[in-house]
Amino acid sequence: MPSEETYFKHSLRVNDYLCQGCTTCMRTCPTRAIRIRGGKAIISDNKCVDCGECIKVCPHKAIYIKQDDFGLLFNYKYRVCLVPTTFIGQFEEKYKTRAIYSCIKKLGFTHIYEVEHEVSRMVDLYNLYMDEHPELTTFISPYCPAVTRLIQVRFPSLVDNVIHVRAPLELASRVITKRLMDEGASRPSIGVFYVTPCAAKIAAVKYPVSGKETYVSGVINMDFLYNKVLLMLHDSDKLTQPINHTLSSRDVLWPLSGGEAPHFRGAHYAVDGLRNVLEFLEKLEDEAVDAPGLVEMRICDQGCVGGVLTTNNRFVARKRLEYRARLFERLEHSKIRETGSDDCSLTDEMVDVMTIPEIKPRSIYKLNDDFAEAFKMAERMKKIEKALPGVNCSACGAPSCAALAEDIVRGDAGIDTCIFINRHSQASEDAIRSIWGDRVKTKEINKDNNGYDSQGNH
Amino acid sequence: MHYSFNIERGNFTDAGQASSSVKRTLKQLGVDPVNIKRTVVALFEAEINAVAHAYGGRIDVDIDGEKIVMVVADEGPGIPNLDLAMQEGWSTASAKVREMGYGAGMGLPNIKKNTDDLKIDTQVGVGTTVTMTVYLT
Ligand SMILES: Nc1ncnc2c1ncn2[C@@H]1O[C@H](COP(=O)(O)OP(=O)(O)O)[C@@H](O)[C@H]1O
Ligand SMILES: [Mg+2]
Repeated sequence: MPSEETYFKHSLRVNDYLCQGCTTCMRTCPTRAIRIRGGKAIISDNKCVDCGECIKVCPHKAIYIKQDDFGLLFNYKYRVCLVPTTFIGQFEEKYKTRAIYSCIKKLGFTHIYEVEHEVSRMVDLYNLYMDEHPELTTFISPYCPAVTRLIQVRFPSLVDNVIHVRAPLELASRVITKRLMDEGASRPSIGVFYVTPCAAKIAAVKYPVSGKETYVSGVINMDFLYNKVLLMLHDSDKLTQPINHTLSSRDVLWPLSGGEAPHFRGAHYAVDGLRNVLEFLEKLEDEAVDAPGLVEMRICDQGCVGGVLTTNNRFVARKRLEYRARLFERLEHSKIRETGSDDCSLTDEMVDVMTIPEIKPRSIYKLNDDFAEAFKMAERMKKIEKALPGVNCSACGAPSCAALAEDIVRGDAGIDTCIFINRHSQASEDAIRSIWGDRVKTKEINKDNNGYDSQGNH
Repeated sequence: MHYSFNIERGNFTDAGQASSSVKRTLKQLGVDPVNIKRTVVALFEAEINAVAHAYGGRIDVDIDGEKIVMVVADEGPGIPNLDLAMQEGWSTASAKVREMGYGAGMGLPNIKKNTDDLKIDTQVGVGTTVTMTVYLT
């Protein structure tokens, strides 16, 4: 494919050994970022938004999320586990939160900090942006990084509606780093490791839209940590490390769809799941819905408990988290809970760290920067689309006939790749071979004993 | 580039296909989001009018190197008093149409606001043809 400037990078990877080129992911991808080449799925960096749908649907478990080496942890004297409450939602109610956290510490962490400590400051940051933009009526929560990227590539007209604030984990990592430094630790001796439920949060840390520095040193996949902790919980004898609980019950529920609502006055919408998010954004863009207020959107069904790196069913995890929230509520009321010394104020410096100057539109539709050229290409694309069979068989290595038409005008594919159009030509045979590689050979097996295939060709 | 679509009488739920198809093309051309929005809003309102007030019709869209011309032609009662119809809030929509969330009387004024050129040919008892132009560059 012609090289172009890459704006986005990702932690999603295709395992070429496991990938069967079955086209399932390609047909599911909401930004049509996947093609089959050489018999394997390849993902386009500029189109992918890290939604994780491809991982969820892959029948061969061939797509995975690259995580940092756990051993990195020990390069630091102070090792902070930055954990979202989604993590404790993975565990059965019978396990005490402090037992879970004790296990995390036993794995080598010196500190644990829950991202949701930053909820009240995040609310202040949202409100700041909303107050600064009275010309806008609909505001989209910046909580889910996949939603922000999806808007950049598919709904560029809505980029300003996204609250220009970085993810809560960025604030949390900065706050805990600052606190340790105030206690005398040097910056290089502090390692902050975020436990991620999905690919999008990793991308947001490693390749931020804001282009700003991160205080997160590494990322750990949630399923990896879950397995380690669960094993320890099972054969633990004494896990009595006291944990400083200062989260309110409302904070605990923040990662769930609808979790931001209780913190805001005014109209509020909670949209979760890829299909629903796409539908709502489409309507917003057309002004076909009138949605004044805050729109909370999560790419994953139910919110972060539906993340691809979670280990338990999202409905069960939601229920567990709600149970813990009630528990925290009781602790609040009975004052058994240690009262937090946490200062919730938002400093100018935090505002500076957390603000995103600009969310750039990165349309994946635009055919060319030059209008006249784009016009020619669109015209040609329309003609090609008409010539294609419209069955969306994906044998050309593209998700649909429309996508192939676009690939052709962009110079990324030849019309020969359509097996309907060029059923019997050598050019088609060659083109198909370049898409499917060695798998074309299986055709030989289908020939009957006389060496003739079903069409009577020798 | 030419597109055409049919408009079915009373079919509110399927309305909007023309505007989404036009939207897709304008996105491919890299048209400024503001102009895309103007185009889509105008086309949608004109289509809804043909669905709600007339007996269906036809949409023809032409895009060239500088502009988009959208013609929404219907067979219907026509508009007896165009000046009145162009006023904000004026509507003859039935109670049923209002219940469906249309009929605020803002359609034609919005079309006027969002297009660079607007022509309405209407004949009582015959039909209405709305021709809208938006300059894209
Ligand atoms: N295509 C049409 N055929 C007949 N009458 C129309 C048509 N379009 C608009 N009108 C008349 O003009 C009025 C105002 O139209 P509009 O501003 O779109 O408001 P609304 O559709 O909400 O009533 C309508 O109530 C109707 O009486
Ligand atoms: Mg109207």
